[in-house]
Amino acid sequence: MAIIETKNLTYTYPGAAKPSINDVSMKVEKGEFVLITGPSGCGKTTLCRCFNGLIPHFYQGEIKGEITVAGMNPTKHHTHEMAKSVGMVFQNPENQLFALSIEKDVAFGLENLGVPREEIRRRVDWALMQTGIYDLRERSPHEVSGGQQQRVAIAAVLAMKPEIIVLDEPTSFLDPLSAEKIFEVIHELNRKLGITVVLVEHRLDLTAKYADHIIIMDEGKVCFDGNPREILSTEETRLIGVGIPKATLLYQLLRKEGIKLSDVTPLSSEELATLLLEALKPQ
Amino acid sequence: MSVFDGLKFRRVYSPIHNLDPRMKFIYVCAVFVAAILFGEILPLSALFLMQIPFVLLAGVPKEWLRSLRGAAFLATFIFLINIATSFFTSGYVLTAAAIENAAALTLRFIVLVEAFSVFFLTTSPDHLGLALEQSRVPYEFAFAFTTAVRFVPVLAEEANTIMDAQKARGLELEKGNFMKRIRNYIPILIPLIVSAIRRSLELAEAMESRAWGASKKRTNLYSLKLHREDFALLAITVAVLVVAIYVRLYVPVPTLTQLLRL
Repeated sequence: MAIIETKNLTYTYPGAAKPSINDVSMKVEKGEFVLITGPSGCGKTTLCRCFNGLIPHFYQGEIKGEITVAGMNPTKHHTHEMAKSVGMVFQNPENQLFALSIEKDVAFGLENLGVPREEIRRRVDWALMQTGIYDLRERSPHEVSGGQQQRVAIAAVLAMKPEIIVLDEPTSFLDPLSAEKIFEVIHELNRKLGITVVLVEHRLDLTAKYADHIIIMDEGKVCFDGNPREILSTEETRLIGVGIPKATLLYQLLRKEGIKLSDVTPLSSEELATLLLEALKPQ
Repeated sequence: MSVFDGLKFRRVYSPIHNLDPRMKFIYVCAVFVAAILFGEILPLSALFLMQIPFVLLAGVPKEWLRSLRGAAFLATFIFLINIATSFFTSGYVLTAAAIENAAALTLRFIVLVEAFSVFFLTTSPDHLGLALEQSRVPYEFAFAFTTAVRFVPVLAEEANTIMDAQKARGLELEKGNFMKRIRNYIPILIPLIVSAIRRSLELAEAMESRAWGASKKRTNLYSLKLHREDFALLAITVAVLVVAIYVRLYVPVPTLTQLLRL
């Protein structure tokens, strides 16, 4: 059964002339790693805000169509009810951490839910371990690096044991190395704990290899939805302005030149290297 | 940035830092009351000297001296005003008693400043927020307080960035007379306020997403518990108050000038 499902979802921000997402129908299965991408302003963030009820509760505006997330309807259930099932990580790490120590920040959601103290302590320590920032727990969030701050934000939603984690461009403020580490943490959560991940990201070079399923949006609509290897190798995807992984582009160029390579489109440099080694191996 | 340095709390551990902030606050209030009760220099000196062991135990003598230096200007002002008033009201004569009285009132001010500075130098904002929460202050207020403290360094950094950006476009902050200089800061304040508002919206969004307001009975990761040291401080507090009130009511306090004449 799909854990997130929308049918003909259309939403207009208050005062906006045209809808930010238009007639969006999509599905995410339980345990999937889903990548949503597309040019800026295509409605990715708006769609994410629908998943945990920030739209329509926080932003108001006009919403039409159907949406079900983790068995609930975000237009009826309030954001704080959705928060138990849907964790949300935002773009700017600085603006989503508010406590004076990291562990207190991770505890914030659990405190709000009224979880008993011993249980909070246990879950906070667990979440800090999972994200590899246990040693930083007593530091202040503004003292640590951007990558570490973003891990705190992930730990903070993880502590609430959600079924789904939605990350809205979590690495746009980070350098490539920290970004890569964040993606590894997210991938681990997906693989080991079976948490469904919805990741909005431009850096496909680093993330496409993790995705089970990719959704490409443009001008408020879903253009492509399916297997990343098929979708990223189409010409239309490139024209929309999606950052196709370099390895995939190189693979296409080589194939066009008539070099015989396997039919499986590579999504990362490692995969491409394996293909090339295979092709270059003397028969 | 130096303006904001004083607001940054450094995590230090000392017997004084570990005291319960509520007890410390009660103690500071007791010192405050005692200082108000007396206008004579001897008991005020005693109160002044009483704070010094606390400062030394907490290991913050440098910061403490800095805060006293900050109060020096106002203290001088209080001293001069008092001298001038008695000088003009008593027919243009300056008596030793008048000088002593002015000194005493200045010392009273210094005692107040010193007691509060010890409190703020040794209490982490985290602790203070927690104390607010556990004193049944609505959580929203306690949260607003800790968040404000949390964002001081962030906003300071942002102010610096905006200043650099505006200077790069030719804004001269140090130019012109006093009024002009104040007006120079408008192009810095406006973007700072706008970005603070935008920041607060994002913050609200993140709070909502983390179940803000989910249950009426909010729990807390930490709790403040009273230890032996806290009761010791409470005993000191009660002693200070009792002695101060007793002396005020039953013991005539001599002034320094009277003592010296004897």
